[in-house]
Amino acid sequence: MTNLIDPRAPRFGAAITSAIAIIGFADAFTTFGVVSTFATLALLILFVWSVFLPSSHPYKFLFGLIRPKLGEPKELEDARPPRFAQQVGLFFAVSASAGLLLSNQTIVAVALAFIFIAAFLNAFFNFCLGCQMYLVLKRFGLFSK
Amino acid sequence: MGRQHIDLRRLRPTRNGNLSTELGSQATLLQFSTQYCGQCPGVRRQLSQLESMNSGVSHLEVDITDRINVAARFGITQTPTIFLLNAKSELVYRVGGIPNLLKINQELEKLGVK
Repeated sequence: MTNLIDPRAPRFGAAITSAIAIIGFADAFTTFGVVSTFATLALLILFVWSVFLPSSHPYKFLFGLIRPKLGEPKELEDARPPRFAQQVGLFFAVSASAGLLLSNQTIVAVALAFIFIAAFLNAFFNFCLGCQMYLVLKRFGLFSK
Repeated sequence: MGRQHIDLRRLRPTRNGNLSTELGSQATLLQFSTQYCGQCPGVRRQLSQLESMNSGVSHLEVDITDRINVAARFGITQTPTIFLLNAKSELVYRVGGIPNLLKINQELEKLGVK
C-alpha cells in the first residue's frame, strides 16, 4: 500500500519555502549579502532533511500545530508526488549552494528564483511539479528512483 | 486524413488495477499517469465516473512511470494526458493536464455518447 498524507501538509511547507526563497532571491539579486547566504543554507538544510529524514522535519512539526484548527482533510493523497518535488527542490538548493561557493551571484539568484516559483505555485495554486516535470527529466535521464 | 490507431494490447492499460484492453462500444478515455503525478488520482475518479454514467464509454489507465518509451512514442510531456479513442481504437482527441470535462463531454457526444 502506498504512503498517504494530508495534501495540505506539503503545501503548507511550500508556502514557508517560497517565503525563504523570495527573501533570499531579493538579496542575491541586489546586494548578494548575508541574507541570501543564510536563505540558501536554510533551504539546503530543509530540502536535505525532507528528502532523507522526512518524518522528523520541522515543517511536519509546524503543520502539526495548525492542523487541529484546519479540521480533517477531505481526502488523503499519495506521498510520492510531493517527495518528487522535494528532490527537485534539493537539486536547486544544491545549485544555489554551489553558486555561493563560487561567489557567483547569478547562479544563486537563478536557483533561488526556481525554488520560489515552484514552491509558490505549489502552495497557492496547487501546481504539481511531478505532473509537469517528471517525464521531461526522465527523458533526459536526469531522474532515477 | 488518417487517424492514428492505438494498439491497446501493446500499451497494457489497466482498469481499477487489473489489466484490461476492453474498448468502449462508443468511446474510450485512455489516461496516461505516473506515480509522481499528484493530479492523476483526481482525474482518474472523474473519468471513472463518466465511464459508470455511460455504458458505451470505457476508462483505461496506463502507468508510464517506468515506460519512458511510451511517453516518447506519443510525445507525452506531462501527466495526466488523456487520449480519446473511438470504437475502432483510433485517436480522435487528446489533452494534456487536467481535462476540461465540458470539452470531454462535447468530444464524447461527437462519438455518439449521449
